[in-house]
Amino acid sequence: MKKITVIALATLTLLAGLLLGAKMIQIKGSDTMVNLIQILAEEYMGKNPAIPIAVLGGGSGTGITGLINQICDIANSSREWKPKEIDQAWDKGVTPRSFVVAVDGLSIIVNEKNAVEQLTIAQVGALYRGEVKNWKAVGGASLAVSLYGRQSNSGTYVFMQEHVLGNKNYSTDMKEMNGNAQIVEGVLQDEGAVGYVGVGYLHDEKGRIRKGLKVLKISKEPNGAGYLPTDKAAVDSGAYPIARPLYMATNGKPKGDVARLLSWIVGPEGQAIVEREGFFTIGEGKYKAANDKNFK
Amino acid sequence: MRNVLRKVTDIVLGLLMLPMVSIMSLMAQTTTPPPQTFSATVYLDYRSFLSNAGPTTLKPASDTTAYLNDQFVFRRAYFTYENKINDDLKFRFRIDADNTANVTGVTLTGSPVSGVTLGKDDKLRPYLKHLYIEYANFLVPKMVLNAGMIETLTFKPAEERWGLRSVAKTLTDGYKDVTKKEIYASSADIGATLKYSFAKRFRVAAGYYNGAHYSHAENDQYKEVELQAQLSPIAGVSIVGYMDYERKLPIAALPAETKPRGLTYKVDAFFERIKNLVVAAEWFTYRNDLYQTDGEKYDVGGWSVFGRYAVKPDKLQLFARYDSYRPNSLDRDLDMSLAIVGFDWAPYHASWKLQPNVWFTNYENGVRYNAGATKNSDIVFNLTFFLSF
Repeated sequence: MKKITVIALATLTLLAGLLLGAKMIQIKGSDTMVNLIQILAEEYMGKNPAIPIAVLGGGSGTGITGLINQICDIANSSREWKPKEIDQAWDKGVTPRSFVVAVDGLSIIVNEKNAVEQLTIAQVGALYRGEVKNWKAVGGASLAVSLYGRQSNSGTYVFMQEHVLGNKNYSTDMKEMNGNAQIVEGVLQDEGAVGYVGVGYLHDEKGRIRKGLKVLKISKEPNGAGYLPTDKAAVDSGAYPIARPLYMATNGKPKGDVARLLSWIVGPEGQAIVEREGFFTIGEGKYKAANDKNFK
Repeated sequence: MRNVLRKVTDIVLGLLMLPMVSIMSLMAQTTTPPPQTFSATVYLDYRSFLSNAGPTTLKPASDTTAYLNDQFVFRRAYFTYENKINDDLKFRFRIDADNTANVTGVTLTGSPVSGVTLGKDDKLRPYLKHLYIEYANFLVPKMVLNAGMIETLTFKPAEERWGLRSVAKTLTDGYKDVTKKEIYASSADIGATLKYSFAKRFRVAAGYYNGAHYSHAENDQYKEVELQAQLSPIAGVSIVGYMDYERKLPIAALPAETKPRGLTYKVDAFFERIKNLVVAAEWFTYRNDLYQTDGEKYDVGGWSVFGRYAVKPDKLQLFARYDSYRPNSLDRDLDMSLAIVGFDWAPYHASWKLQPNVWFTNYENGVRYNAGATKNSDIVFNLTFFLSF
């Protein structure tokens, strides 16, 4: 009921903003972040009715291109900008400033019927490179591995490739899905499946891990302790090895409504929502320090 | 009055094409491109002269052919297959079709080969434009290798900023079409380029090609070398310097010891600091030792300024351009100019656009048609249809 009220209020705010001619804040990019940012935007619009916000997905690459071409105010990305993108932005007079707004424990998921409970990061890499084709080779039943991943314009795709696959190519057998939700659906219906999704896509409406899904523990070494991406302490300490910051980038120093929105997101109210939605907060360490510097 | 009515009727007929084009574009909408893509880009004009003579720039190659007036003119169709094999490796295959490069046969003469004659007809024929691999992070990070039938370095920076290839080629690219003076420049050729970004402020590139350019057979043993450097001191301001060099086959009229060569120097400047606005300038000069008047060498060159402003990005932008051409530095009576104004409108989706534009040309009457040195001015209206899916 509360959510419906917030959405209704946000919709009315949006319409009022449009009618009054207020400039809409356009946010575009990471599919991993789209649900989180949409919820943050709705809450923010509920408190600030005069500021309409539109949030679109499409992938990190799409958001970054949007900011470079100046068709959005904020680009969401689940990876850092590539040097080529920074060059392209520079040519067009765009100087991106990236703010870390949340931390995502990238989750390796399998169908709940899969006997495997834990993998090393090297084993995950071998699976996605296509070097391991049967679950038996990593402690499971004799069952063909079925790979689910994202398309190449996804920041998650790039992050996995750089941090888990050792910058090597994905197996050509991998099914390239449009979004995290499609990966989850694929894994639910395929006993041999393995997928990677943002931690925000693991839970049902009651905050439990979705029925039919199993989240694997990941360890750094073959005999090391495995950790879950939902373990905040493990993510914060770096014990969970596949965690990544999530960014919102602006063209130059954020100003006006955009600056106020970003300050709110990285502030106590925004971070409480980040935590509520299953992501991890930025904490008081290096991410906060970098954000503070970028606001100046 | 009758003329005005006729032109209005013609334009209305042109607009009748819109529903067909819009259906095709709606079918083509997609949000996430897959790693392998097949795409097509097509543009054509409905062309109408607003002055009697008809601009020299749009006249058919043969003076005896009728003017291309009050009719649909098919301009270009690109069919492109791209395969992003992985983050670093990309393959592109592009077929192009237009109404000017209808090569039907090649005759080589001499041994070693000293001449090439191309047979042509009036049919629209496809030809190979690109067939290359692009290897990013080649040898070292931020180095890019292209090899095969590749894009040359000559026009690309200006073409990217102009962004309206469907309306007109940029100055150097379209130079031969406008002036009929060959400057041996092309957008594609067989060879390899290496590009490297030292930092966002400084980038360099070098290319090595046949020099015969796409849709032509190699006709000599000489190769073309291109060098390019881009300096961007502040965000949104870039200066690109470029040069190319190629030896030419000597001709009988020159002394035997002569080693003729062709050299191009080119500078582009771009200003993109204001949101939705691009302002650019292009200048080049070309020296070919074979270009002489009474034993005196002359240069070929020109400059161009253009700007475009997106009133509503992906929906509506305005553009304007002015080109100045000097096809012979020893005879300034031959100077020409071309101004283009228009707008680029995507009524429903960015995949199809209407680009009404008007060309104003001023040229030497004797350049193509009649003896004499009087200047002529022409105005032509183009309703350009652009479709990409």
